[in-house]
Amino acid sequence: MKKVFYIIIVIFILAQFLSPKLPETSFSNPDDLIINNPEMNANVQDILRNSCYDCHSNETGYPWYSYISPISFLISRDTKLGREELNFSEWETLSKIERAGVIDDITDEVSEGEMPMSIYTLIHRDAGLNDQDKEILINWFENYADSLFE
Amino acid sequence: MKNLILILTIATASITFLSFTTGTGYEMPSDKVGLPAYDVPDDVQEIIDNSCYGCHNTDSKSTKGKMKLNFDKLSDLKQSKQIGKLMKISKVVKNGKMPTKKFVEKYPDKKLTDDETTLLVTWADNMAVELSGE
Repeated sequence: MKKVFYIIIVIFILAQFLSPKLPETSFSNPDDLIINNPEMNANVQDILRNSCYDCHSNETGYPWYSYISPISFLISRDTKLGREELNFSEWETLSKIERAGVIDDITDEVSEGEMPMSIYTLIHRDAGLNDQDKEILINWFENYADSLFE
Repeated sequence: MKNLILILTIATASITFLSFTTGTGYEMPSDKVGLPAYDVPDDVQEIIDNSCYGCHNTDSKSTKGKMKLNFDKLSDLKQSKQIGKLMKISKVVKNGKMPTKKFVEKYPDKKLTDDETTLLVTWADNMAVELSGE
């Protein structure tokens, strides 16, 4: 029994050397959605930063456990995939029609409760969106999408 | 022996039931796609009828499929939504997410060929640009 325990400890320590490099963060993003829309209400900004920006921007906040293997693998992968799918830090580089496509994704997934992912809100308890949050977020994006084609 | 037969019967019945309830909700489309306001070339129309419309129509049993995209109602949506949906069609077809893996396994002949993929993606992209007025 003791032996098993030691083996687990050794594996855990060795795993730390295999830990992946987490996607880099940057807090200076001139093409960022929020920066380029100064008229955006503070509550919309708060929802975005609190519930979306960890995976969908370059401004990822990594908690201490992000650096510990094997959690680091999960966080590294989800952040990378999240940014590939949608990166609010590079919002202005999208064309108008591309933005409309992404917004269709955002409104569908948020209203269906597919985003934020449950594994994320399990740990970040305050990142979950209630019905009012969803409505605020979806309304803002729909109005924004309309304004693109006026 | 009698028990064994009973168990087998119940198992078979359950599996049959499950295979119905977990289906893709696909039914052969009876009508052509309703895209009244759209200019849809015949070859694109055929692809949509064959590989998309079965789940993405008003009477679809696939609630999720219908919610994400309903061809019957597409041209009723506001401009920004229509553009968004067309861009989404282009994206999910391009990256092979649609038709779903499960659907293609069940109906291998409805899998999109490379040519069909290109046709559909190009059409959706062009329609989006046209609708955007640019």
